[in-house]
Amino acid sequence: MIALPALVLLPAIGGLAAWLSGQGDRPTHLPWWVAIATIILQTVLLLVVTLTAGFGTGPWLGHFSIPWIPALGIAARMDMDGLSLVLLWLTTLLSFPCVILSARDIGERPGLFLLLVLTTIAGVDGVFLATDLFLFFFFWELMLVPMYVLILRWGHEDRRRAAIKFFLFTQGSGLLMLVAILGLVILHWRSTGTLTFDYFALADTVLTPATAMALMLGFFIAFAVKLPVVPLHVWLPDTHTQAPTAGSVLLAGILLKTGGYGLIRFVVLLFPDAAARFTPVALALGVAGILYGAWLSLAQDDMKRLIAYSSVSHLGFVLLGVFSGSPMGMRGAVVQMVAHGLSTGALFVIAGSLQDRLHTRDMRRMGGLWQALPHLSSVALFFAIASLGLPGMGNFVGEFLVLLATWRISPPTAILGAAGLVLSAVYSLTMIGRAFLGPPATGPDPDHAGPDFGVRQMTVLGLTMALLLVLGTYPQPILDLSLPAGPHATQPEAGRP
Amino acid sequence: MTPLPAGLPPCLPILGGGIALLMLCIAWRRSEARAILVALATLLLAFASLWRPALPWPGGPAATLLVPDGWFTYIAGLILLSSAATVIMAWRGTGTQADEFYLLLLLGTLGALVMAGSADMVALFLGLETLSLSLLGLIAWHRTQPTADEAAIKYLVLSGLSSAILLFGLALSYATTGSLRFAAPVPTGPDGPAIPLAATALILTGLFFKLSAVPFHTWLPDVMEGAPTPVAAFIAVVSKIALFAALARYFAGADLAHPGTATAELAIVAVLSMLGGNLLALGQTNLKRLLAGSSIAHVGYLLLALLSPGPFGLASAAFYLAAYSIATTGAFAAIRGADLSDIAGWRGMFRRRPALALAMAIMLVSLAGIPPAVGFFAKTYIVIAGVSAQRIVLLGALIAGSIIGLYYYLNIVRAMMESAPEDHHPARTLPAHAALIAALAIVTLAAGIFPETLVRQTRALLPPAPAHDILYGERT
Repeated sequence: MIALPALVLLPAIGGLAAWLSGQGDRPTHLPWWVAIATIILQTVLLLVVTLTAGFGTGPWLGHFSIPWIPALGIAARMDMDGLSLVLLWLTTLLSFPCVILSARDIGERPGLFLLLVLTTIAGVDGVFLATDLFLFFFFWELMLVPMYVLILRWGHEDRRRAAIKFFLFTQGSGLLMLVAILGLVILHWRSTGTLTFDYFALADTVLTPATAMALMLGFFIAFAVKLPVVPLHVWLPDTHTQAPTAGSVLLAGILLKTGGYGLIRFVVLLFPDAAARFTPVALALGVAGILYGAWLSLAQDDMKRLIAYSSVSHLGFVLLGVFSGSPMGMRGAVVQMVAHGLSTGALFVIAGSLQDRLHTRDMRRMGGLWQALPHLSSVALFFAIASLGLPGMGNFVGEFLVLLATWRISPPTAILGAAGLVLSAVYSLTMIGRAFLGPPATGPDPDHAGPDFGVRQMTVLGLTMALLLVLGTYPQPILDLSLPAGPHATQPEAGRP
Repeated sequence: MTPLPAGLPPCLPILGGGIALLMLCIAWRRSEARAILVALATLLLAFASLWRPALPWPGGPAATLLVPDGWFTYIAGLILLSSAATVIMAWRGTGTQADEFYLLLLLGTLGALVMAGSADMVALFLGLETLSLSLLGLIAWHRTQPTADEAAIKYLVLSGLSSAILLFGLALSYATTGSLRFAAPVPTGPDGPAIPLAATALILTGLFFKLSAVPFHTWLPDVMEGAPTPVAAFIAVVSKIALFAALARYFAGADLAHPGTATAELAIVAVLSMLGGNLLALGQTNLKRLLAGSSIAHVGYLLLALLSPGPFGLASAAFYLAAYSIATTGAFAAIRGADLSDIAGWRGMFRRRPALALAMAIMLVSLAGIPPAVGFFAKTYIVIAGVSAQRIVLLGALIAGSIIGLYYYLNIVRAMMESAPEDHHPARTLPAHAALIAALAIVTLAAGIFPETLVRQTRALLPPAPAHDILYGERT
């Protein structure tokens, strides 16, 4: 299916076009239009991919492969299953708020900004599709650079430290994963005599339990940094807080999902036995993340930092679900990723808008904003409630399925995880109470807070709300799709359209 | 002794002829433009001659000084192209009457080529000294500046010292083997292993000094800072390629897969270089000193490849050499183009001169090993080699070193992105320099996305390692 590489190339080319179109001497809106056209085209392309996907012929829906560096057994191979498709849709949908709602951050010359946003999206799409381990690693590293520059160039006051921290953590863990990938490749080469980076071939490698565990840990650490899993989360609060709005949305909504995706595709499915033995540790780490993230969220005054820590908490559920060892938990984890991407992405848009209007993220200096900004405040209330897991929204479905799956293997873990939900209700509602309700604070006068959300913002966020509601009330399509295809499942054939 | 493929690679006489021609030109009438043309034409002609078969060598295989094998051809290609880039970089950089500068560059290149191809200790030493002596003149080029004097004296003393150590090692090696063949002596002779081991240790020390591997590296940052930018590039690229090529050839017949004294020494130096070089670069405020530290670290990565025998070891080293040469030459060309070696001066470069800043960023990204630049694949290739040889400690050092490296490379990128101070350095880049920088940036990206061609070039350059008795058949 030639459309798979097109999904990666289109945003990259669109980004370049947007950048070039803004190279004139006078400030122009042209880059915006190019970027918007790109993501609309991308949506259409993804729609075509979805409609022409090979449903019913097996769990793998699409396939593309050409030789890339045949001397080392490296191919540009991409395969798409339901999980990839769901996450591709999430990426494409979240690219709209990133591009449309970030106008205030950027100023007059949006070309470079749009180039970076779109290349990040291209890299993420590549990560979700690549089934050649070298190609996967290529995209994995590729998506970091534009993100780094985004934070560095358009971030907030402490952006330098945040950007470097982000890069060092993710790159360092990436190198560890590289060693694990190559270890697997070399072991496969030793036992079979063929050098290949192909995911499906490597899944058949015969490994001793100790080697499998070592290699799995190499992958696990890289993905755990990205997800993030406590105690590897220390880069996240700084990075999310300092990133520009679009950067935060990209990070929380999409980039973190690559960690969850990697855990499913390259840890649990590639090393099932080692992952099963690792489950107790993973569950403990997951619960630790849920409780620790929630506990720290309670103590934050900085709104973006609060949302960042809440991400740590919510993504702990993903770790629980992935390692629960049951299809139900896996599905729950995917739904949780999608719902978290939508709700946290929206919350970062709101926090970014507040910062634009009030020039602060400090909730001690907010208060009583509801009168001045009714639309923004009600939207914030909706997403805060979604994020705390109210039934009827996607987050509830994800967390519920994960807890149910966890209960079956470890009731104490499930109970502790559920306790995290209580904390999440507390910090979400406290945030709403402090920022939007209550008496006006000493900070900036809410009456001069600037305009409320307009049509543009309400449309984008309204659609996000609708998606969360659909996900919460009718999750069946996503649940059907989201069970990942294993490497031993019927492989996609080369020649199929 | 098994005969090696004997012959005289035609690039050497071409280079020699070019040097003679350039001397004649200087004697006749001085002109920088003519000198640069002669130098470039000589280098390119020599490069083109790499596809020609070697000339017959008078005296037969027994007197083999040079081996025109695949390894030599590949390395010679790299050296010639890098020298050509250096020549372009030096254009109008050395005062009005600067013909000798190009003469010295050509001489240095000749020395480097001889080293890369030498199968014999005499040839090696001749090549090494030709390179060192011409470098001395080049380093001291701006002789009115005190930093240049300091650099030249430092280089002179340490270069002389290391040559002496190397010579002593060569002598000991000859004493045990009775042969002038430049190869690691087997540590099992009638005199016991002590003398061959001492010979190898001394030869390694001499080579490490010139290669500036930690702990023999202290001269490099000062020399790089004091030397003119093109010369710094020449030291960082051409001289290191030649020395690494000689080192690889020295160990071509040795068994580096199993623990041994030479293996241990190489491994320790590799780890120290990877960590020490990167740490050295970390605190620098001068780009040339920073690149000096980075080049030391890259030597460490190359040693890791050398220590990983097997189908990937030397192939990955060869690929890495190419990637390193392109990016380092490019970085120096950018420094030359902006005429700024202080990192502080590069602040805000993305606003002031976006094209130059972008090129510099591409080079740094390549050196840091981030896709899509060629350095990414090169580093991956070396890690493939290391993993296949199970060099766990060395791989750990590579990861640690790379993370430190990321920090300082990205720091420069960050500085370039900061808001600009006023433009107090309105230097314009010459069109030739701009073209060179652009070409190197494009090659960095193109080779990073399509590395297949280069990967094919780098395979099976030297015969696979095993068996000392092939090389030392006459003794057993």
